[in-house]
Amino acid sequence: MELEIRNLVKHFGGIHALKGISLRVSGNELVGLIGPNGSGKTTLVNTIGGIHHPTSGQIMLNGTDIAHKKPNEVARRGVGRTFQVTRAFRRMTVMENLLVPGMAHSPERGQSAWRERAREVLDFLTMDHLRDDYARSLSGGQQKLLELGQVMMTDPSIIMLDEPFAGVHPKLMETIFGYIETLHSQGKAFIIVSHDMDSIFTLSKRLVVLSYGEVIADGDPEDVKEDEVVIEAYLGKEESVA
Amino acid sequence: MNDIRTSLRRPEVLAVLAGLIVTLALPFVLETYWLHVLIIAYWYAILASSWALLAGYAGQFSFAHMAFMAIGAYTAGLIAIHLELPLLVGIALGTVAAGVAGWAIGVLTLRFRAAYLALFTIAFSEILRTVIRAETQITRGDRGLRVPELFDTVSRVPPYYTMLAALVGSLLLMLWLERSRVGLFLRAIREDETAAAARGVDVVRYKVLTFVVTSMLAGLAGGIYAHYVTIVSPNNLVISQMGLVIAMAIIGGVESLIAAAIGAILLQISLELLRETGAWRMVFFGALLVITLRVARDGLLLGLFRRLFKLGPRAELKAGTAEGAVSDGA
Repeated sequence: MELEIRNLVKHFGGIHALKGISLRVSGNELVGLIGPNGSGKTTLVNTIGGIHHPTSGQIMLNGTDIAHKKPNEVARRGVGRTFQVTRAFRRMTVMENLLVPGMAHSPERGQSAWRERAREVLDFLTMDHLRDDYARSLSGGQQKLLELGQVMMTDPSIIMLDEPFAGVHPKLMETIFGYIETLHSQGKAFIIVSHDMDSIFTLSKRLVVLSYGEVIADGDPEDVKEDEVVIEAYLGKEESVA
Repeated sequence: MNDIRTSLRRPEVLAVLAGLIVTLALPFVLETYWLHVLIIAYWYAILASSWALLAGYAGQFSFAHMAFMAIGAYTAGLIAIHLELPLLVGIALGTVAAGVAGWAIGVLTLRFRAAYLALFTIAFSEILRTVIRAETQITRGDRGLRVPELFDTVSRVPPYYTMLAALVGSLLLMLWLERSRVGLFLRAIREDETAAAARGVDVVRYKVLTFVVTSMLAGLAGGIYAHYVTIVSPNNLVISQMGLVIAMAIIGGVESLIAAAIGAILLQISLELLRETGAWRMVFFGALLVITLRVARDGLLLGLFRRLFKLGPRAELKAGTAEGAVSDGA
């Protein structure tokens, strides 16, 4: 898997949300994407995912430009994502929530095969006992797990998680942490957007920092932590990020 | 075979089968007047249930459903008058014409949601109604288009079975769609269009498909209706008629095709029984709608069916519909 973003620009009217972002994620890299509020993290994820179309620039996935593809086409090409605010299908059961991505990905496999896959995913997430419950009856943390399950259904090569730890009970956070590490060890690439500095610094092998729609740092978490530009972007001068 | 036997033992399936047997037997016991009432009730049931698929499943709150019905009715009528083709051919072409119009509206309104879609479809209906009123040389305007009868008999029995067959056929088609991946995707789109797309659902395709299918069913109902009442007029397109169909679907249960259809039938019968009360029957109807929206937003009948047949997911049955009923468990 190789995802290469080339000089990506996104304007919303007069607001320049992304100002020429270039980034490459390859193999099974686990990249943390951080930055102050309004720096363009979610816009970048949404643009890669096809929800926004870039004003200019390219998003190359395994050599093909997906910059102007629709979200369903991007998903079918092996890019999975979760949302900052959980967007499980609330009035559908947990099982139905998992069947949607499966049946959309390859309906020819048939519903019974996808049900089996859903049971595997639910077993992995230890949520099988909830399969017949409505998504709206799940807690916020469980809904985050359900979204991860939706992503896992189609076995994408790259997974983008937008704030996977936000508003989650610390114990469940550890669980999600473990699932990410397991999936990463199975060869999945990750882009993880998070405000939770402890988690993102522990989890990531590489950190990309955005500020005002630009990449201001990209490298080893320990180096990024000491980067003066990053410290200034987060806290102003003469203070420390950690 | 075992699956069929198991299904036949389910109370909701038994209830539907019993209802079907009763409706098949009704022409042998009812007088002509009530057969006429039921034919119109079945016509409303096709419209209400197909609108329920569009609005309740796909989340497309359209006011153009009666316009698609009128396209089917006028196309069938005009073909019968001017081309003198067999009436069934006219009805089939009317169905196709409504489907084409549904496709066009579906494509044009793809990015519209909620109030914008409602306003667009109201405008479309009003344009169509005005064109029909204005083009008197073709449509005879407000005088209405005289259309030949489907059956050369005064008996109401053949049109009764025709409309019933159209209703059952429409419901079977829509139930098949609902049970297929299309139904799954439509519900996902209704819940969250962006999330559905991110999960790989081709939102455009399924929204347009729903518009086409439901418009075709409305067009089919329109064609049969035209050849039954033998006159179609722009009055069928007034907004109160569309409101009636929407209210029937909502009172029955907009998230269930069967509930919407039965709701339409029961309400049409009730309105007929209350005919002597004059305008007060509409007060009853309005009050029923208000009560439904206030106390049973899923529909009066759907709520009743859920209780009677214990339908719905496990957690809902265990703990009602309380949000966050299940603990974190972490």
